[in-house]
Amino acid sequence: MPEIDPTEHDISELGPKVNQIDDEQELEEMLAMEKGGEARDPVITLIESRLETVGGEDEEAVDPAEADLSEMTIAEIANMVRGVDDVDILDGILEREKSGKERKGAITQIENRIEAVRGTSEEDAEEVEYVPPEEKHPDLEHPTADKQYVEGTVDGEYRDMWVYCETQQGDLVDVSKEMLGRAREMLDDYNAEPDDDTDRTDVDAAAASYGGDEDGNPEEVVAVLIGDGVEEHAEECIACGADRVVYHEDERLARFRHKPYTEIFAHMSRDWEQEWRDYHEPRYTVFPATNNGRDLSALVQGELDSGLASDCSDLYIEDAQISNPEKTGQPGTTKTFERVLHMPRPDFSGFEYSTILCLDKPHRDFHPQGASVIPGTFDLPDPDYDREGAVVEHDIELPDDWFQIEITASDQLDDGVDLTGNEVVVALGRGIGENPTEGIELGLELVDQFEEADLGLSRGVITASYQFGGHVEQYITEERQIGESGQVVEPDVYIAAGISGAVQHKVGMDESDTIIAINTNADADIRDFSDYFIEGDLFEILPRLTEALDRGEFAEAMQEVSDD
Amino acid sequence: MHSVVLTKGVPDFREGVVEFDEDGHLERGKTPTVMNPNDKHALRAALQTKVRHGGKISLLSMGPPGYAEVLQEGMRDVYADDLYLLSDREMGAADTWATSMTVATGLEHMETEPDIVFSGFKTADGETGHTGPQTNWCIDINENLTDRPLITHVIALDVDDDGTVRAKRLVEGDVSEIETLETELPAFIVPDPEFEPTYRKAEHRLRHKQFRAETRERAAEFGEYLGADKEPTDFEQFTMWNQKELNLDPDFIGLSGSPTIVSGVDPIPKAPSEREAQLVDADDDEGMADVFEEMQPYAVGD
Repeated sequence: MPEIDPTEHDISELGPKVNQIDDEQELEEMLAMEKGGEARDPVITLIESRLETVGGEDEEAVDPAEADLSEMTIAEIANMVRGVDDVDILDGILEREKSGKERKGAITQIENRIEAVRGTSEEDAEEVEYVPPEEKHPDLEHPTADKQYVEGTVDGEYRDMWVYCETQQGDLVDVSKEMLGRAREMLDDYNAEPDDDTDRTDVDAAAASYGGDEDGNPEEVVAVLIGDGVEEHAEECIACGADRVVYHEDERLARFRHKPYTEIFAHMSRDWEQEWRDYHEPRYTVFPATNNGRDLSALVQGELDSGLASDCSDLYIEDAQISNPEKTGQPGTTKTFERVLHMPRPDFSGFEYSTILCLDKPHRDFHPQGASVIPGTFDLPDPDYDREGAVVEHDIELPDDWFQIEITASDQLDDGVDLTGNEVVVALGRGIGENPTEGIELGLELVDQFEEADLGLSRGVITASYQFGGHVEQYITEERQIGESGQVVEPDVYIAAGISGAVQHKVGMDESDTIIAINTNADADIRDFSDYFIEGDLFEILPRLTEALDRGEFAEAMQEVSDD
Repeated sequence: MHSVVLTKGVPDFREGVVEFDEDGHLERGKTPTVMNPNDKHALRAALQTKVRHGGKISLLSMGPPGYAEVLQEGMRDVYADDLYLLSDREMGAADTWATSMTVATGLEHMETEPDIVFSGFKTADGETGHTGPQTNWCIDINENLTDRPLITHVIALDVDDDGTVRAKRLVEGDVSEIETLETELPAFIVPDPEFEPTYRKAEHRLRHKQFRAETRERAAEFGEYLGADKEPTDFEQFTMWNQKELNLDPDFIGLSGSPTIVSGVDPIPKAPSEREAQLVDADDDEGMADVFEEMQPYAVGD
């Protein structure tokens, strides 16, 4: 039986889930269940397309040497070339794309693959020789200004995934539990025995299994609690997936403070002598992408002389084939980095995910590999209060000069703008760019025509550096943002004007009953999840809708007039 | 009072200016570079401090020589007394940690330690929000620089004559809170995009107006040095330092010194259509009537 019964889910929930399944058998079963149930076309397409991706070596699959590229999307081409190891075939694909549609994205994907395959054959290149900076750069004064920030660890020992569990007003913040749940899933896979049949260097492999650390011992999820009276959350952390909880309590830590929190986290994870912590630093660190969590992540990773990706929308561990010469030490070679935390994050353009990796380079370690996670990215785990785990207190003296900032007051804010619960939401996107102030005015005028309605914005409007007239400026706040990093709304009617429909926006609105899109571009992505798609200029359409609704009240009167 | 404001050039994301290729990849070459919008909030916070307490504002960036124009934009649109650019090919493609080390070294190179360092929250292109805090961590580590308390997400700020800093900052988790804090100069301040300068006294408004006029004039003058046959460094208020002048090891800055790399940019595979959109042409009255009928039940007075 597959883990997910598709007939019990909406398509929007299924999308991300199905795309994580790598087992053909399971997918086939799900397909059968859907066909035996409602047989929804989009669900069938979704599962079939995943099956095609997973079952790349089926007879019915396209032969890369013959594939008709003009029929394929860039993503499909990217997936196809990943399975090809023959440079001649890849060269052929490259030639066909160049003489065909000549898409830059596709060409890059193919060229990268060629480079990766070529590099692999030279993989057993010799170690990179270490040249001391004094010898390499005799023109500089040594030690150079940068060295004081550099820890200088090479080939250190790293283990475990440390998760910073943020608390607020005496409670664990939800994202802390979400991260613990995900960390548990990742490390369960990680600690599982590797399946001999799968090729671990295959980037398309499922979450990789390593059978624990380099010596075969399982690695742990370590939850970190810092604050006043935080030990009481230890049980909840274990129930959500932690193997071990490390906590530090002090009444001066009741509220987040940058300096002591950073020093404590760094001491716990690097300097603290404990029998169980017999390694240099954690292998991975995970923080919430909240105001305080993001700051802490940057400071801790800086102190540990490593890197991080912020605002991640997924996390997984697998091997990575890297040909970046800064990381391999030798141009033209490809090196396999094992046990790499992959950190995808939505790109500013809204149509791509960048995957960030934090990797050691020759003669300088970059561990722990750090990430901060957007709240709500992972599901809240079902707590299992029978789970067992260790709880350890961390206790060091905190010098007074770590407390240079005095917090004299704290007030809870009203929740601010709440777009949920409206019957109608009018949302504006970068289509207002021609005249942003007028665009907002027109949106507000339409909002006023409804009993219960409010104005929403796409992320693009907030990040663009538009100059707004003073009277509408108050509406341009992140509070009105709809989407992955904003609010999620499901009104009866959602009017999306000048929004192209990036996937991050979609997750914030696609449960709306009726979606009406207004866009000048007939190919805008939003068309795929709209009920009505008005092809036209919002500066013209919005006033017409406003006028019609305004007149709507007097429809009969108008009717009488025209009957005369 | 001396403030240094850190800024970065980012692609201009305004509609009609930003260029994407057909696959949705940003075309950097065709998209102009502007000052990161969030850094202008930081610069406005510095200007508010100068209007109230006097002093000097320096604007500092790291980037290619062309970023002189980004600095000029900040000088013109908000305020700056002088400009600093850390520029070298070796600094290119740095992530936040490699950037922070370089910027901290630039701060160390300045004649005097600033009373306040300001940085913006998040850049429009990278959106990490890490560089400000990490730069301050480098200042902490650096023994030649005075440790300074870090206050982020600041929405209101004032400095007393005795050097006491009072600030309000935003905290977000499951609920939103505002903290009121006090500390002593020197400090490192990261204003939130919600920060709005206030000028309640008439004399402050007057001074603000005067400063704005002066800085626009200065920016116009600097503009004359940005022409093809001129050297920007001939402008007295513009200083440029390279990797050698800062005594930085090229293997520890820029791409070489960066812990992180972007391993891949994946187009998000397009999900199958979930709704069958009825296509309505703007001139199609019947179609527009269908749309209208969907909305009318929710109209006022219905």
